[in-house]
Amino acid sequence: MGTLSKKVLLGSTLAAALIAGSAGALMAQNKPVIATVVKISGIPWFDRMETGVKQFQKDNPDVVATQYGPATADAAQQLQIVTDLIAKGVNGLAVVPMDPSVLEGTLKRAMDRGIIVVTHEADNQKNTNADVEAFDNADYGRALNERLATCMGGKGKWTTFVGSLGSRTHMQWVGAGEANAKSKHPDMALVDANNESFDDANGTYEKAKEILRKHPDIKGFQTSAGNDVLGVGRAIDEAGLSGKVCLVGTGLPNPSQDLLESGAITAIGFWDPQKAGMAMNSVAKSLIAGKKIEDGANLGVPGYEKVKVTKGPGVGVLIVGNGMVIADKANYKEFLF
Amino acid sequence: MRNTGGQLVLLIVINVAVLGLGAAISGGSFLAPFNLQSMAGQLPEIGFLAIGVMLAMCAGNGGIDLSGIALANLSGVVAAVVAGKFLSSADPSSAYSLAFIIGALLVGLIGGTVNGLLISRLNITPILCTLGTQMLFTGLAVVASDGRAVAVGSPDLLAQIGNGLFLGVPISFLIFIGVAALVAALLKFTPFGLWLMLMGTNPKAATYAGFPRTGVLITTYATSGLLSGLAGIIIAARNVNVKWDYGTSYLLIAILIAVMAGVRPEGGYGRVVCVVLAAIALQLMSSMLNFGGLSNFVRDFAWGALLLTFLAVGRYNVVGFLIPNKSTKLV
Repeated sequence: MGTLSKKVLLGSTLAAALIAGSAGALMAQNKPVIATVVKISGIPWFDRMETGVKQFQKDNPDVVATQYGPATADAAQQLQIVTDLIAKGVNGLAVVPMDPSVLEGTLKRAMDRGIIVVTHEADNQKNTNADVEAFDNADYGRALNERLATCMGGKGKWTTFVGSLGSRTHMQWVGAGEANAKSKHPDMALVDANNESFDDANGTYEKAKEILRKHPDIKGFQTSAGNDVLGVGRAIDEAGLSGKVCLVGTGLPNPSQDLLESGAITAIGFWDPQKAGMAMNSVAKSLIAGKKIEDGANLGVPGYEKVKVTKGPGVGVLIVGNGMVIADKANYKEFLF
Repeated sequence: MRNTGGQLVLLIVINVAVLGLGAAISGGSFLAPFNLQSMAGQLPEIGFLAIGVMLAMCAGNGGIDLSGIALANLSGVVAAVVAGKFLSSADPSSAYSLAFIIGALLVGLIGGTVNGLLISRLNITPILCTLGTQMLFTGLAVVASDGRAVAVGSPDLLAQIGNGLFLGVPISFLIFIGVAALVAALLKFTPFGLWLMLMGTNPKAATYAGFPRTGVLITTYATSGLLSGLAGIIIAARNVNVKWDYGTSYLLIAILIAVMAGVRPEGGYGRVVCVVLAAIALQLMSSMLNFGGLSNFVRDFAWGALLLTFLAVGRYNVVGFLIPNKSTKLV
């Protein structure tokens, strides 16, 4: 090492020591800080959630609410953001975990430091004060099926799609739909159930074409993964069956716009990430204030006016709202994201 | 080896500048002991991988190790599955932790040796070989874990490694610094280090000079694998669970750190201290941006800008240019 590098090293050490010495003097933050951490930033779903966080901030000037998210879809990157926020000293964390298992250790450290942790889309998360879910999965599956039955007039052949047979929520949705049809609409006949789509619009399109060929008299599809409506919808559209075959499934308003307009998609179901973001922040704010969320509580967010509260898998509670949205041609424009 | 001192000076200056900037935007809390500990605790997993990449790069002939994070995950997953078969992590004795640690190191060592054997014996280009083994390791980890997260839990010893402090410094960070010093000593004071650097500078001359090429290559990649195993242990200790797809973004970040540290991609030169400082700089920068509430895309942008700056510094004597009369002493 040359003399210069030694001098620079010495100077830098001194400077660092100086800065460190003066640190801590300016740590005045009296409003509680709630940080929302999403799976990945810059995608429509979480951009929509950010509008909710901003709305919450506007409605609640007595807290500081902001949203963070990694630039790449990697649990390790989300973990780093959470770790840094814990160190920064936030009061509440509202996390949509990329992978709940990876975050357990870090969320536990956060809770040990007295930070309130609220999660979303992670009903198996152990280290959380409260997990907020938009809806009960069985209710959602039933609602989708009921919408399908209305369109089908309560009779005819129908089938179901899931992302994969291993996807727990998708199986719950179609399972509840199946049970609903069986008990309320005996004239509806389920054929070739539980097709796997792997959330791939192209693959789903091929599969839907096969089904349309195999069952020319099919009347309805109930789908689960986000891209399924697009694949099945395209198959229906190309077969000239728009409006004759009913399609109800999970989907997002923006990408489904054309197919909703053409009538290939009857209705899409989803939950609004904007409201979910507001609900998470609302729960965090109440918990920071030392309040408890009781069964039947009103979070002050549409769809979360009367939440169901049960014991979660860990120390915290599981809060289930009724935040499902079933949108069709008439009203999807209210939710464009 | 011009400008090498310049790289070190620049890295130190950047580290101090980021610390100062962080303190300024956070009103001091960036330098609070808890955040310094938190950042030091985040560093080792990526730091180990970066040193591994550096070693592979130094070997020359297009040397690189893309399998680092995949091997780290495989080490963690296999060690957790195997140790979990015979012992319970709830056991008060350290048996589970020790079995896990030994298992992870062993898997890392074997994985690295496989890389070394393929590259030295079969003469496969390192970038292709390690790309292949990266997928192989990931696949094995999926099979071993059924694609699910494997619980390691927090037995005493591992919890200490993941969260413990010694004199206020995270133990994982101390392990990292200790291992980095060991690797640095290996490069500086042993014939292996000399062979590695000279071979990286001119592989042909090294062959004619009778260097044990195969041995050096295998040792290099095995060491890199061992470092991956260490990263796997730290990941497990901090996160309580291990999963096959953890840290997919680490692959490029580890290479970024190595290049920022002035490791020559053509081989033959690299300093461990610079790698450690570059890793610290990246950690400080990303934490600072999180403190400032800036988008993570800004971080990618800043890293890219930093990388280009460092490449420029490596190519042209920027430090010497800025301080002309002292530049001779740097060489």
